[in-house]
Amino acid sequence: MVEKIWQKQQKKRKWLRLLRSGDHEAFAEFIEKYKESVFLCCRRLGLRENEAEDVASETFLAVYKGIGRYSGRAELSTWLWTIAYRQGINYLRKNRKQWQLEAELDEHISDSKEQGPAAVVQGREREKIVWEAVERLPRLWAMAVILHYREEKSIVDIAKIMQIKENTVKTYLFRGRDKLKQILATAFTEDIDNGR
Amino acid sequence: MAGKLNEDKFDEMLGQSLRRHSEPVPADFTEKMLREVREVQERQILARVVLQERLSLAGCIVFGILAAVGVTVFPGRIAGVLRSIATGLTERGGAVVDGIGQTISMETIRSEWQMYTILALVLGFAAYCVLDMLVGDRLRTA
Repeated sequence: MVEKIWQKQQKKRKWLRLLRSGDHEAFAEFIEKYKESVFLCCRRLGLRENEAEDVASETFLAVYKGIGRYSGRAELSTWLWTIAYRQGINYLRKNRKQWQLEAELDEHISDSKEQGPAAVVQGREREKIVWEAVERLPRLWAMAVILHYREEKSIVDIAKIMQIKENTVKTYLFRGRDKLKQILATAFTEDIDNGR
Repeated sequence: MAGKLNEDKFDEMLGQSLRRHSEPVPADFTEKMLREVREVQERQILARVVLQERLSLAGCIVFGILAAVGVTVFPGRIAGVLRSIATGLTERGGAVVDGIGQTISMETIRSEWQMYTILALVLGFAAYCVLDMLVGDRLRTA
């Protein structure tokens, strides 16, 4: 067991060394491994398809140029998320007017009378419904929820990535989770209570 | 207790569902990125070569100016140093290194420090260029 962990660490170190040396194969592997996370970050910030692709490219180029500065203290994925988030926010700042940006980031779910998940739950997968519910959250809440529940990042890491205070992260998570519970309540009450 | 259980189950369900989500990414994104990376690399190499060329040119110009100024301001000293080097090299034939050592004593270096500083800079830059040419790439990627 210990040997396996040691081998894994050695392999990771070797891969990092290759990445730092500018090895294309290692970098291709890096892109393959993390491109989904980077696109996820961009789209959650509200970037359109083509904008998300541009920002994702900028992010990976920044990684390629700056990998030598990666100290290894934070996890590689946390470091990458930090870069992607900053690139996304910078893009929005440059290309959206301030009022528009604030409105977009705070964009709140409307308590509209549109068909809720409960009405369409039958025949649809749970993951899809949960994802749609997350997409209806304000963007910063959604980002915190995704980082915590999907990427399994700690509060401290999320605060670093989003450049906000830890208490703010906690608030986003609390509110986001609460809102998700409200949205999903009707759809999943039975499942959760029955432990399915 | 039941409430706590449900809370935990909710978190578990949320985590599982979110982890299963896959974000669509353009099919050729990795290839496109690698192409961009290659272009960046080529631009970096080109920039380095241009910088080296500029440094060489600047070095030649500065050295030329300094030599001209030196010859004008300290003609006797420079002639003396050059003569002593030439004498050392020709008279001692094969023992060039020894000859230089004997001809150029510490005292000479101290008194002609401007000249030797320039010589050291030129030699240093030449050594850097040769080293960079031979092992530069290997050092940069190590």
